[in-house]
Amino acid sequence: MPVEVPKEKWPGSVRTITLGALPSEGGTRKRVVTVGGETAMPFMHFEGEIPNPPVVAIEIKDRKPDDWSPLLLETWKDVIDDPAQWAAAAEAAGADLIVLALSLTNRNGEPTSPDEAVASVKAVLRATGLPLIVFGPGQAEADNALLVAVSEATKGERLALGICEDKNYRTIVATAMANDHLVTARTPMDVNLAKQLNILISDMGLPLDRILMDPTTGALGYGIEYGFSVMERLRLAALQGDKMTQLPMIVTPGFEAWKAKESKVGEGVPASWGDWLNRAINWETLTALTLVESGADIVVLRHPESVKRVKAAIEELMAAKSLVS
Amino acid sequence: MALSGIQIYKLLPQTNCKECGFPTCLAFAMKLAAKQVELSACPYVSEESKALLEESSAPPIRLISLKSDGYEVKAGNEVVMYRHEKTFYNKPGLFVKIKTSSPEADVKTLAQRIQEYRVNYVGIDLEVDGIALEDDTNEGEKMKNAVKAVRSVCKKPLMLFATSAANLEPALTELNGESPLIGCATADSWEKFAELAKQYKASLAVMADNLDTLAELSEKIKGKGVEDIVLVPHGKNLGHELILQTQIRRLALKSNYRPLGYPTLAFCQTHAQMAQAIAKYAGFLVIDTFAEELAYPLLVLRQNIYTDPQKPIQVQPGLYEINNPQPTDPVLVTTNFSITYFSVANEVEGSGLPAYLLVADAEGMSVLTAWAAGKFDAERIAKAVKAVNLDAKVTRKRLVLPGAVAVLSGEVESELPGWEIRVGPREAVDIPKFYKQVLQAN
Amino acid sequence: MAVYRVTFNHQTEPVVVKSGTLITEAARLAGIEINQPCGGQGRCGRCVVQVTDGKVRQRSALRLSAEDIQMGYCLACQSVIEGDISVVVPEQEKIERRLVTDRTAIEVQPIPGYAPEYQQTLKRYFLEFSPPDYEDQTDDLSRLQKHLRTDLGFEEVEIPISLLKKISSVLREGNWQVTVYLDVLSTNDGNPTARMVDLLPNRCDEDSPMWGAAIDIGTTTVTLWLVDLWTGIVHAQVAEYNAQIRRGEDVISRIIYADKEGGLQELQELVVGTINQLIEIACKRVKHHRVSPQDILKLTVAGNTTMMHLFLGIPPSYIRLAPFVPTFNQAPLIRAKDVGLIANPHAVVDCLPGVASYVGADITAGVLSAGVDSTDQLTLFLDVGTNGEMVLGSKEWLVTCACSAGPAFEGAGVRDGMRATTGAIEEVWIHSETYEPTYRVIGGGKPRGICGSGLISLLAEMFMTGVVDKAGNLNTSLSTPRIREGEHGMEYVVAWKDETEHGRDIVITRVDIDNLLRAKAAIYAGFLVLAQSVGVPLEETEQVLIGGSFGKYLNVEKSIQIGLLPDLPWEKFNFLGNTAVKGAYFALLSQEYRTRIHEIASKMTYIELSADNTFYEAFMAAMFLPHTDLSRFPTVLAALQDSNIQFQTN
Repeated sequence: MPVEVPKEKWPGSVRTITLGALPSEGGTRKRVVTVGGETAMPFMHFEGEIPNPPVVAIEIKDRKPDDWSPLLLETWKDVIDDPAQWAAAAEAAGADLIVLALSLTNRNGEPTSPDEAVASVKAVLRATGLPLIVFGPGQAEADNALLVAVSEATKGERLALGICEDKNYRTIVATAMANDHLVTARTPMDVNLAKQLNILISDMGLPLDRILMDPTTGALGYGIEYGFSVMERLRLAALQGDKMTQLPMIVTPGFEAWKAKESKVGEGVPASWGDWLNRAINWETLTALTLVESGADIVVLRHPESVKRVKAAIEELMAAKSLVS
Repeated sequence: MALSGIQIYKLLPQTNCKECGFPTCLAFAMKLAAKQVELSACPYVSEESKALLEESSAPPIRLISLKSDGYEVKAGNEVVMYRHEKTFYNKPGLFVKIKTSSPEADVKTLAQRIQEYRVNYVGIDLEVDGIALEDDTNEGEKMKNAVKAVRSVCKKPLMLFATSAANLEPALTELNGESPLIGCATADSWEKFAELAKQYKASLAVMADNLDTLAELSEKIKGKGVEDIVLVPHGKNLGHELILQTQIRRLALKSNYRPLGYPTLAFCQTHAQMAQAIAKYAGFLVIDTFAEELAYPLLVLRQNIYTDPQKPIQVQPGLYEINNPQPTDPVLVTTNFSITYFSVANEVEGSGLPAYLLVADAEGMSVLTAWAAGKFDAERIAKAVKAVNLDAKVTRKRLVLPGAVAVLSGEVESELPGWEIRVGPREAVDIPKFYKQVLQAN
Repeated sequence: MAVYRVTFNHQTEPVVVKSGTLITEAARLAGIEINQPCGGQGRCGRCVVQVTDGKVRQRSALRLSAEDIQMGYCLACQSVIEGDISVVVPEQEKIERRLVTDRTAIEVQPIPGYAPEYQQTLKRYFLEFSPPDYEDQTDDLSRLQKHLRTDLGFEEVEIPISLLKKISSVLREGNWQVTVYLDVLSTNDGNPTARMVDLLPNRCDEDSPMWGAAIDIGTTTVTLWLVDLWTGIVHAQVAEYNAQIRRGEDVISRIIYADKEGGLQELQELVVGTINQLIEIACKRVKHHRVSPQDILKLTVAGNTTMMHLFLGIPPSYIRLAPFVPTFNQAPLIRAKDVGLIANPHAVVDCLPGVASYVGADITAGVLSAGVDSTDQLTLFLDVGTNGEMVLGSKEWLVTCACSAGPAFEGAGVRDGMRATTGAIEEVWIHSETYEPTYRVIGGGKPRGICGSGLISLLAEMFMTGVVDKAGNLNTSLSTPRIREGEHGMEYVVAWKDETEHGRDIVITRVDIDNLLRAKAAIYAGFLVLAQSVGVPLEETEQVLIGGSFGKYLNVEKSIQIGLLPDLPWEKFNFLGNTAVKGAYFALLSQEYRTRIHEIASKMTYIELSADNTFYEAFMAAMFLPHTDLSRFPTVLAALQDSNIQFQTN
């Protein structure tokens, strides 16, 4: 007896956004990455289109980070002092695109200068043909100073510049607008705040198809359930036709999972936590996979093994299309 | 179909007699709609209304319970597609697969590890739920011996899987008084499995790679008198499994389609399958291997996804270190309401100034609300200070209270002798300035 | 323990206090008044004093600038005395009045078709008996009771002992002719219950009025109507700030103050004092009659649950503690002397019933007088005062909730906020190209601050002209000196110092804007949660009735622009003034209404907003101008598109 499966037909869809610009488009990228375009909930191929698979980005820094887990420092030890080499290694590890997170201070402990930031970004652009996302150090003044310089020096590359937050978005949006870049907009795990920031940014005149939203997710054990539900709700709202939520979502499970004690600490923890390295990678992987299930379009990771696992999963999730259509 | 509060209200006596324990019929109706109360609490509801209301409240997904001596694992009774719509109720049971071909000593060792595995997460002890034995040698006696071996060290509920039902019978005789799960019944083998399940009061797993077959099988099995059914949608890949699981849940909830109104089970080999099974609708998951470093994050993920989203968004109370604080740096106090925490933490983090952020358990309320409700007072703050052993962490004992609760400063002073109590600004945005002007100045 | 000497205002006699005493406590010992609008919590910064000699330990220096502190200014309620000091207390701000009833005492229409003989429970009877003699030795009380039974048909009349004391003399003084006042409640079984309210010698003038009072005890304002119970005519409407304000501006501050030693009694006495003062004023205002407070025989009292507790001297502590359950929602009937009212000591005081800790009798009375419980139309009833309470429903059902909007709309918690009195900016217009404001000041003089309606108007104008973005951020890229960096972040200057009365700039800061956003978001979120709780779209509301004094000044257009009120056609909004006192007045006149108010209280379903996430979600969505979901505000959206605001940076 054939079962009649009810299908959801949604009036809305997620915007399609392309990161990176080919030489023919005014950039220097060897390939571009397109995300979004969904007309159904994640991987529901039987009732809508999932035209672009979620992509995996690897996060690198402009110098050896001070606060990363020793496990990660070990993993990337050969390239960690050189963002260009690191970017190349990340590409080799399977990244679809690179996230370069600028540091507040340089190797000498002095504030990172705009020139240094531009140099790092340019080195990374030379080392890889992948599209690039650049995050400021996360402090309003430094973000604005560094990102404006980077933005101007890379006009036309269609970088994504971040992180716009409700207290500091104007400068980043303005420079992205002027130099043909995108922005990422981060809000703390709340559907309304996410929507509000998108409205504020688009009110400045930046088209919605140049905004990626980062709803903040929390790591496994540290609030992932809120991130998970906020993402599901944002995606449902987008499909229901709410324009201000129809943006692809970028999430940073690497950052979230690797700041958890479970990943950072290897000694003096309960035996029931098991092997440190495997636990830490599991932590990142499971955080990322759960977010992929709830609608992430770009997942930013830190460990190559996680990248491998998440990419394999995405491939299988996309492959189901041929089975049901 | 679920009725709204107002729809239910119209079926109630509307006398506001209060005998149900609620102040008005409408309040009772809202609780009924939220499934937080039983209709039987109303002594005056008419028979006609009762019939209507009971029909609307029948669970669309059957509750299945696996039991052993002292343990019970439940699945089913779910009412939503997305957890934010209400909540997910029954955490999927996590079972570890052991093959009957394994040497008895290995079976015992693993079973014992599973019995004893316990990991503490935010004060809750999390455990693996049971063991799934798989007959990979096609020998009934091996299964029986494996059950014996397991039962000698592990009391948790069991699942027994074999291709042929006959191979399970010897083992089932060992499980008197328990309610295990057996399976997997398929289009070829369902009849024997159904007879066995009926005879031994076991739940029966039914496997197929498509919904048509699954529905057909479950109906046939039900026709044999077995109602405790668990569906195993065996997808061809991860994406297919997701679609099948989603469709089953949707048919049960939206179409009230009884043949698929049962919880599901997922066999998981990859991390992706495990995460997906927990996030997307599995009632049970069976994992191939057991390792602490995997069980821990899986149990945490399950715990997270199955928390009640209607509760205020909270962060973990405790001590948060921001910008690498030293023992001489100040301690800022706030509540565990997530937005409160984020606004404070972001300001401090953004300023680059080092500080300890002490998050007190104020039941997820913001500073003023919590204070007004008596959840953020001197006693609670002092308790939080002691809980994280702050006295040992800082040498300069400076505690900064949110400006909104300046009134508490006197009481906190007396609760925490030896601490210098400062009143910070009312707004998080003023913290960096306060830090520089007041805290750094003296 | 060490003791120290504290000299106030250069007086010769210092007070002596123990080490650790607060300046406010010392001031009380010295008999010096220091206002503490926040109840001594160190939140409002209004109790500033100057320490001219000696030092104090300051627990908090909120709202004081570095310069202030340098000059010895400190918060009296937060300054601990640890040595001999001299203190100068500035002249305390006098509470200036601009009360609704002072300005516009509306003509009140009695209930249509008011028939006192059936509806009024207070009855006046004339009785004449034969005196006792050696034959008839019936005692005076039995004699009175017999006549009550045989002449009037009352089987049993409750007579308080205090009235018993005077029966004998009254009977004789009137030569066995008396006028008796009974409060008669008819009951279902046909046997009315009666309470004796007074007994006076002789037959009184049949046409003389019987006096009653309807009272609304507001957190900020107490209102009293003096009523002729027989004609229903309101002879005087008076209002006065609740004297408890000195001990806290909001209910939470009062509850906390009540928990302090002697606090409850003090608050009880303060509010009764206010009512007594109003009774006296009202009596004097009555034209053509000589009325004394003693002539008032029946009073009905509305007020929020906390005010009711404080009025009766019942500890309100548990109102603020989860799960927020009050001692009572329905108080027993009392007599005036029980609480110290100067009305007739035996006068019946009927405290109207409330619903919950934060939905009190002021709301049930408001629902009654606004007719929400009898209309077919889906009605949103709103009472914005110090708290925001609201009711949604019709004659079929009623749901209610209360949200802590905070006192921002009353001008508190805002840097240059003030109450709606002389000198307050009550309306603002901003030029959309120059960003220059013009404003109207109450009283027409120079401004001293901005009141609630002014703040709403200001926020709406700033939003519609692009001075702030939808999140309330000031647009720093606009070229106007009025947007500048102030002590608390960015601010907008409404009036330069040379235009103001006090010679300081009047500004609205980013923090003020946040406070206003929170207040309006709480109220709008309350609407949405009520509508969601019963599954009715808010847009289907057929009428919005707004009670409370604040409603009088509310500009619907501006309120919709900031997302405080739902975007409905303006004609659906109706301002009703003080609905609580009106409800109390209805209940004072008519037993039918009095019964109805009890029905309202028992059928109204209270939604506790802190019970789950729903309110928080709605609140976050409303923390935006006008709302995160712009489609809820189509007219605002259209207006924004018309004005074509450029948010772009230049």
